[in-house]
Amino acid sequence: MHIPDGFLSTPVWAALDLAAVPSVGYFVRRTQQRFDDARIPLLGVLGSFVFAAQMINFPIVAGTSGHLIGGALLALTLGPSAATVVMTAILFVQALVFQDGGLLALGANVINMAVLGVWVGYLPMKVFGHLGRRARSVAAFAGGWLSLMAAAVFAATQLSLSSVAPAGPLFASMLGIHALTGIAEGLITAVTLGAIERLNPAFVLPAEAA
Amino acid sequence: MKRIILLLAGLTLTLVLLGVLVASSSPDGLESVAEALGFAGLASEGEAWSPFADYQFRPINSPWPAQVAAGLVGVALMYGFGVLFGRLVRRGRRS
Repeated sequence: MHIPDGFLSTPVWAALDLAAVPSVGYFVRRTQQRFDDARIPLLGVLGSFVFAAQMINFPIVAGTSGHLIGGALLALTLGPSAATVVMTAILFVQALVFQDGGLLALGANVINMAVLGVWVGYLPMKVFGHLGRRARSVAAFAGGWLSLMAAAVFAATQLSLSSVAPAGPLFASMLGIHALTGIAEGLITAVTLGAIERLNPAFVLPAEAA
Repeated sequence: MKRIILLLAGLTLTLVLLGVLVASSSPDGLESVAEALGFAGLASEGEAWSPFADYQFRPINSPWPAQVAAGLVGVALMYGFGVLFGRLVRRGRRS
């Protein structure tokens, strides 16, 4: 889902770069205000884990691969504000060091995956997380799936505004393929968080008791 | 907390070392959509200006060690970022 340079028209990438800077700044400030100090050692550990997981492209359907994005996973372990900042750092490192995702398109990728993907991924657990263990598992899966779909809707909108292809096929194919990749995203999110919750029942956010 | 950190660190190393076993070189979702709808050519590919382009450490000519080296560099950068961001969060707390 990392948009390379060349796909987006200048007004589109420029507007998203301009929007991304204050958005991420806001979430840095918010993290400073409300982050749980006990989780500070996890900022590096989870950032590294999601980076490593994103490197692994697994086959999805004939001729197409996918990889974890990890928006919901980060949101449900670090809280959504810190997750936005850590995901932004991952996208920066990928674009600047590994040439994955465009430099001009970085704002678009940050808005799609680090802001929207993270916050949409957090939502199901926020709403249904108090309903018990099975509901939390389903909410983790749904968070993973929805975070990819939300990012795909935004990416398709940006590509469509850039007139690279007609909107109909663009939305249909972007949503179709990511509905499948999203199943893997949801499963990995639910299994990883399930394992963490077994080690420490109060760990996955928002905690059930809260 | 310690056990969660160990679990995640173990998973991270496993991914870096063994990820290449399951890796697929097929295009990802967006790339295959771009190919199917005929706009893949718009991507400004350019040359590999980074020694780590495409998650391969270029000076190493063998794919597995080149990918492991690139993965370790990425993991180290992200860990470093986490440490710095953690300090920033603590500092914001005091002010």
